[in-house]
Amino acid sequence: MTPQVSLIVISYEMKRELPRTLLSLSPRYQNCAAEDCEIIVVDNNSRERPDAASFAGLNANLQVLSCSQPSQSPARAINEGLVRARASLIGVWIDGARMASPGLIKTCLAASRLHERPVVATLNYQLGPNLQRISCEQGYNQATEDGLLDSIDWPKDGYRLFEISTPEMKGGPTGAMLESNALFLPRPLWEELGGYDEQFSEPGGSVVNPDTLIRAVALPGVQLIRVVGEGTFHQVHGGMSTSSQKSAINVVMEGNRTYMRLRGKPLTQVRQHGWIFDSRTGEVIR
Amino acid sequence: MQPTQHNIAPEVLRAWMVKYICGVLGLDAATFSTSDRFDVYGLDSVEAVIMAGVMEEEFQVLVDPNQFFEYPSVDEFVNAFTSQASVG
Repeated sequence: MTPQVSLIVISYEMKRELPRTLLSLSPRYQNCAAEDCEIIVVDNNSRERPDAASFAGLNANLQVLSCSQPSQSPARAINEGLVRARASLIGVWIDGARMASPGLIKTCLAASRLHERPVVATLNYQLGPNLQRISCEQGYNQATEDGLLDSIDWPKDGYRLFEISTPEMKGGPTGAMLESNALFLPRPLWEELGGYDEQFSEPGGSVVNPDTLIRAVALPGVQLIRVVGEGTFHQVHGGMSTSSQKSAINVVMEGNRTYMRLRGKPLTQVRQHGWIFDSRTGEVIR
Repeated sequence: MQPTQHNIAPEVLRAWMVKYICGVLGLDAATFSTSDRFDVYGLDSVEAVIMAGVMEEEFQVLVDPNQFFEYPSVDEFVNAFTSQASVG
């Protein structure tokens, strides 16, 4: 049976974080049937590669692949996942350290049905009292984070993740959007886009994710649909843009240089509002 | 980061910043006030960091993005940045 949604989840050295992410994408947590959603984890050369058997208890339609040509950038791993995906709607989860809210998959599926050529973007959050590049400099760490998750008794009510996290977008749901960790496009749009651009070969892919969002919303006739009421929540794991202010600035500065070299113009955020789909009310603001 | 030697004229830098910010934010330069704070116009920290990088390329100087937070308007930044050039 062909699933309705395929999720490509990229993993690299996420032994602590990936189990929570996959639990948050599991059928029970997402309240969907296992056969409706396939999860394709593509590991990008972790020293200890994730083992599908260890996630058998999730009862998910889950496979774990190893990228055939791993590199510092996740772009190749994503593209290999896109080739394997079977569903008509495909979500790319560039950072396997991000947990989901409980209605994310169903909501993105519903949002995708609002338009013939939808670009469905979810909003990014970071666990903790501030953006992690700031909170990590103030002592926030994995132990703090474990305590926070315990404090809301996660995964009992996954929506409580909003209580212990910080939105990445300062301008709110309609504000400037640099990237979306969980970006859902119909398969034909991924094909038109050519997947992720593997020229972004720097560690972490540099700004390959912002580039993908920019290119996606620039495709002819597409409709950007921002999903609110759901989100992805970053667990701290030493990522380059979340460990310190200095490293975050460096990532953006270097990323912009790469972007200018490849695209011939400065990196920008996506400022178009698009449509807003609120999972809590089902309301669509066009 | 140490300020770098340069001889960028304040009016040149001011004009460049206005053009850049208005281009990014889709604003009419005629209505842009160089004395207003960046956040009045919705220029956030990500875009400030990007602007620093573009400015480096444009003028071949080092720009510390933190200066945009210390001097959060075009006028304040231009005054600070161009006065640094004479130091050292």
